Amino acid sequence: MNDDPDNMPADAPDATACEQPAEELHRDLAMEGRDLAFTYPDGTQALRGVSVEGRAGRLVCLLGPNGSGKTTLLRCLMGRLHAQRGQVLLDGDPLKLYSARDRARRLAYVPQQPDVAFAMNVQEIILTGRLVHTGMLGLAGRKDVDVAREAMRMTDTLTFAARRLDELSGGEAQRVMIARALAQQPNVCLLDEPTSHLDIRHQLRIYELMQRVAHDWPMAVICISHDVNLAARFADELILMRDGQVVAAGPPTQAATRDILAEVYDVEIDLIDTGEAVPTIRAR
Amino acid sequence: MTAEAPPAQAHLPLPPTLSGRRLLTMAAVLAGATAVAMAICTLFGQADLSWAVVELRLGRLVAAALVGAALASGGMALQAMLRNPLAEPYLLGISSGAGVGVLLGMALVGGGTWMAGLGRGGMAFVGAAVTCVAVYLIAQRRGRLDGYSLILSGVIVNAFNTAVMLAINLYVNPYRIAEFARWVMGEVPETCTRGQLLLAAVCVVGGWSVLFCRSAWFNAMGLGDEVAQSAGVRVARLRGETFVVVSLMAAAAVALAGPIGFLGLIVPHIVRLLLPADHRVLILASGFFGAMFLMAVDTACNAVAPYVQVAVIPVGIVTALMGGPFFLVLLRRRM
Repeated sequence: MNDDPDNMPADAPDATACEQPAEELHRDLAMEGRDLAFTYPDGTQALRGVSVEGRAGRLVCLLGPNGSGKTTLLRCLMGRLHAQRGQVLLDGDPLKLYSARDRARRLAYVPQQPDVAFAMNVQEIILTGRLVHTGMLGLAGRKDVDVAREAMRMTDTLTFAARRLDELSGGEAQRVMIARALAQQPNVCLLDEPTSHLDIRHQLRIYELMQRVAHDWPMAVICISHDVNLAARFADELILMRDGQVVAAGPPTQAATRDILAEVYDVEIDLIDTGEAVPTIRAR
Repeated sequence: MTAEAPPAQAHLPLPPTLSGRRLLTMAAVLAGATAVAMAICTLFGQADLSWAVVELRLGRLVAAALVGAALASGGMALQAMLRNPLAEPYLLGISSGAGVGVLLGMALVGGGTWMAGLGRGGMAFVGAAVTCVAVYLIAQRRGRLDGYSLILSGVIVNAFNTAVMLAINLYVNPYRIAEFARWVMGEVPETCTRGQLLLAAVCVVGGWSVLFCRSAWFNAMGLGDEVAQSAGVRVARLRGETFVVVSLMAAAAVALAGPIGFLGLIVPHIVRLLLPADHRVLILASGFFGAMFLMAVDTACNAVAPYVQVAVIPVGIVTALMGGPFFLVLLRRRM
C-alpha cells in the first residue's frame, strides 16, 4: 500500500465538498461500512445491517439514543471489533487487510475523554501521532515537528505545547487529542463523543474544529454525537440510529425532521425556527 | 456561523524534541556514572587493594548491578504496560515461584535428583519460569493479555505459591529451613561463577534492549489502549512481549540474588521524579539508576554490618524496609 505523507493542507482551498460530480465523490470515499452486523458474545445484537460512508471533506455525525449501536459501529470502523457480517473498506481496501502501521497512516481516532496515565507534555502527546511515520524509537525529525506544528496550529494548541495535559481544561485537552490524531495525517478521523464532558462554549469550538478539519484538510470525519442541535448545525450528513439500524441518513435538513427525531429518540419534538438553515430542536 | 482560522502562531517556539544525539549523550553519561559508582563501591572501605580482593569485590558488584538494572527497567516497563504506577516485576509471581523452586530443590536434595544438580539459582529460575507461564495462561484470553487480569492472576498465584511453600516446609530438614529463610531475604551473592554472571548479563542486557526498543510504544500506551492501537501500536503483542521479557529478566535476577523486594518500585519512581515523562528516557535511565542503587545499598550494608553486630545484612531487608513506607506514601499521594 502506498503511503501518502504529503496531504497536509498547506494551501488547501476553502472547498465545500458538497458540489462535486459523482465520480469525484466515488474517489473521495475514504471509509465505507457495508451492511455491518455485530452481535456481542452475550447475544446482544448491536448492529443489524448498518451502512455508512465517510468522504473526504465531509463531517458525518452519528446520532441516536444510548444503546443504539453508535459506539459498536465506531469500533467496527476502527478495527477494534470485527463485524460478523458486512465489510469495512478503508480507501477502497478491506480494513482487515491493513497492517497496524498502514492502518494508522490512514485512520485516526479521538476518544471520549483524554486519559493520560503519565505526565507527558502536550507536544510529546501530539508526536505519538507520528509513531507510524518515524523509526522504532519514534524520534521526531524536522518534518514530524512541522506536521505536529501544523496540527497544533489548526487546533489552536500551539500556546501550550510545553505544558502537561492534566494542567489543561477539558476543552483544551480534547483539542490536543484531536491534534494528536491529525499528526497521523490520516484520511479518516473517527471521534467518540468528543464533547461529552465539555461546557457549551467548548462544545461549540470542538464542532467548529471538526468542521474545519473535514472541509479544509480535507478529511473524512465521522463523529458520535449526543447533541442533536450542534450536530445538525455543523455536520454535512447525519446518520440517525436506533436498535442497531439506520433510521435516516442525509443532510441535516432532511434527516433531522420532527418525525424522524421523535421516532429515533422516542420523545415529542418541537422545532424552533431561529432563522438559520436548520431549526433548533427541543424535546417536549 | 462558519469556522474561523485561528490566529497565526506558526512561529511560536516549540519545546525541544528528543533527538538521537540527546539519548546517546544521556546513555554515555549514565554509563560513565555507573562505572564511577562501581569503582567507588569497589574501593569503599577496602584496606587491602590486591587484585584478588578487588576481583572478588567487582564480581559481587557486577551481580548487584545486573540485578538492579533488571528489576528497575523491568518495573518501569511493567508500569507503562499496565498503566499502573504500583506495578513491579515480582507482581507477576516471580519471587514466590522462585521460592517454591528453591524449597523444592532443598526438599529433594537428599534424593540425589536432577533438581539438586541445578543448584539454588537454577531451581529459582525454573520455579520463576513455571510460575510466569502459569500466570500468563490464567491471565490470557485467546492469546490476549488484559492488564487487570494480569495483576489479579499475579496476586492469586503469589498467594497460592506461599501456601505451597508452607506445605513444602513440613518436609524440609529444619536446618535447611534456616538457609531458606536467609535466601528469602534477598542477598547479593559473595561469589558468582563467570558463567552465572555471563548468563545473567545476557538475560538482563538483552531484555533491557528489547524494552528500550519498545519505549516509544509505551508512551502511546499511556494514552489508553484504543488510542495506542489507533496510533499503530500492536497493543496485544506489546503486552505479551513485555510480559515475557520482564519475566525473563526478573527470573535471572531472582536466580542470582533471591527476591530483592520493592527495588522494582522505588527506582522507577525516583527516575520518574527526576526525568521527563518520556519512556525512551525513563527505560534507559532506570536500568542505570537501578544498577547504581543496588550497588550503593549493598556497599552500605557491608560497611554498616560490623557496627550492628551482624556478619552480613542482606540487601533485600534494607530495600524492603525502605520500600514499604515508600509504597504507602505513593499510595496516599495517589488517593
